[in-house]
Amino acid sequence: MLSYTLRRLMAVIPTILILIVICFFLMRLAPGGPFTSERPLPPAVMKNVLERYGLDEPLYVQLWTYVKNIIIAFDFGPSFSQKDRSVNDLIAQGFPVTLTYGFFSAVFVLVMGIPLGMIAALRHNSFWDYVMTGLAIFSQIFPNFVLAPLMVLLFTLALGLLPGGGWNGGQWQYVIMPAVALGTSYMASVARLTRGSLLEVLNAPYIRTARAKGLSERTILIRHAMKPTLLPVISYMAPVFVYMITGSVFIDIFFSTGGIGQNFIDAAYTRDYSVILGLAILYSVLTFVLTLIVDLVYAWIDPKVRSGLK
Amino acid sequence: MLSVQDLSIRFRTGEGHVHAVNNVSFDIAAGQKLALVGESGSGKSQIALSILGLLANNAETSGRIDFNGADLLSIPLRQLNKIRAKEIGIIFQDPMTSLNPYMTVERQLGEVLELHEGLRGSAARARVLEVMDAVQIPDAKNRLKSYPHEFSGGMRQRIVIAMALLLRPKLILADEPTTALDVTVQAQIMRLLDDIQQEYKTSILLITHDLGVVAGFCDETLVLYGGRVMERAATKDIFALPTHPYTRGLMRAVPNIHEPHAKLTAIPGQPPNQTQPLTACPFAARCQDAVMDCHSSLPDLTQSAPMRACLRPLEELT
Ligand SMILES: Nc1ncnc2c1ncn2[C@@H]1O[C@H](COP(=O)(O)OP(=O)(O)OP(=O)(O)O)[C@@H](O)[C@H]1O
Ligand SMILES: [Mg+2]
Repeated sequence: MLSYTLRRLMAVIPTILILIVICFFLMRLAPGGPFTSERPLPPAVMKNVLERYGLDEPLYVQLWTYVKNIIIAFDFGPSFSQKDRSVNDLIAQGFPVTLTYGFFSAVFVLVMGIPLGMIAALRHNSFWDYVMTGLAIFSQIFPNFVLAPLMVLLFTLALGLLPGGGWNGGQWQYVIMPAVALGTSYMASVARLTRGSLLEVLNAPYIRTARAKGLSERTILIRHAMKPTLLPVISYMAPVFVYMITGSVFIDIFFSTGGIGQNFIDAAYTRDYSVILGLAILYSVLTFVLTLIVDLVYAWIDPKVRSGLK
Repeated sequence: MLSVQDLSIRFRTGEGHVHAVNNVSFDIAAGQKLALVGESGSGKSQIALSILGLLANNAETSGRIDFNGADLLSIPLRQLNKIRAKEIGIIFQDPMTSLNPYMTVERQLGEVLELHEGLRGSAARARVLEVMDAVQIPDAKNRLKSYPHEFSGGMRQRIVIAMALLLRPKLILADEPTTALDVTVQAQIMRLLDDIQQEYKTSILLITHDLGVVAGFCDETLVLYGGRVMERAATKDIFALPTHPYTRGLMRAVPNIHEPHAKLTAIPGQPPNQTQPLTACPFAARCQDAVMDCHSSLPDLTQSAPMRACLRPLEELT
């Protein structure tokens, strides 16, 4: 298991390198650059600026310098659009914010979604089952960019319970709405997934075997049905968490959290090569790490997968 | 000990009801080995499942299953759970899917002991090893922590059997305990069941579609067709002189050592449609002895030997 983990981690490095190269060239293919604007800079100024950021060098030299700085100094370079800010700064400032409410959002998704799905399955066609169906439909009609304003209307403007935006160092009042707004639709999906999964597992022959042993329904649920029920939920959560982090742009802007999503948008508008690259790398590392965690949890639960890992 | 009375099982489905078992009655005495034979779909497994309350959710039952004075069809789950595994064990038809793939074999066997006898730890392990040895799982000591997928089909079948034997129940329902296995292993397993039966004086309800398996094993045989009992007799009598046209058809499909060159013939026609309640003999449509009346009346099983459910007198059968 340990050697498997190490091997997986080692494989990340070349993958990231390839990713850097692809992103690097893709960005240059797009028309315009960080310093093109409506009113062109005087050629002399332009030349100065390009020199300052090394953009006058041949592409392969630029690429080499970029990669070298990352490897030697873990330095992702200066931002091209924000004066005197480095990519490292921007990420260090915005990423923890997004990660924080993203994490709580994921907790919300699991803590609400799994029990809701299980209750719906166990009380098949009952009140709770309908609550869940309703919730699923609700979250389809109200994606996060509709839900967030509605929540602000209700909790901030009408009830005055929660602040309508800001971050304030991540106090819970400020985290709660971004986390819930971001997670609700995923929560509904997890509930639906759990419901279907549990219904299927409860029909499995080995659950019948467990019943034939005289075990109580509760023991059967916890001891025999829980693990296999959660397997699909676990594999679903890895990409979802990445979506939640990368797809948080709207939440960051709407709630002015100061999260990383805002930087992403700005960087895209201004062709801020280094910020875009830096974020692309960040997101892919995140994806790798999460996928690895999910695979390990999966292996921990499923002995068949585990014996395949050796 | 076990008395099944007028048992009917039907399933609610999208296209109406499936009448899988129709007014079946039989009983098993202590220490008796009774065989339930019939082709695929005749309702054998559902009868076994109903005895332990394990039918699918869409099942409706009627009748009575009397076990030492309690009606298993109507007692509360709490009470039934005391009978399951402890008094009545079951060996499921498909060993590949009836073990939990996410639990070690030791845990799956051990939890039965823990639940019914409060045994844990080394005491439980000793008992688990003892039954695993009894069903001849080689090197059992080192295989306790293995998962089902690490065993071959034959070994899994033995584990399923071991599970049924753990608490030495008074009755074992063995649903096709050997169909998943090749012939040599089949013989071994049947011998094993026989030994265990002799040693513990267990009653066995052996379910199979293979008359060959029944021959050397069961005292009595119940022949089922379309969820209805066609004939009940001592196994040797069934082989010597089957009294029901369906049983005769079955016998013609079994190889016979005395006539190795005799032609084997399958019964022509299809299994019955079970979407309507039975109003006539379910076998009539395929029966070469059927007369007009066979298609409109439903004969009951006679209560004295020869016990058969057939309109035609025995002497007139071909
Ligand atoms: N949950 C269910 N819903 C509808 N019909 C069912 C259900 N379970 C079983 N049946 C039907 O009940 C009938 C009897 O099934 P059963 O499993 O008892 O057959 P069997 O005699 O054990 O056959 P086999 O030798 O193939 O195991 C079949 O026609 C089957 O389709
Ligand atoms: Mg069956």
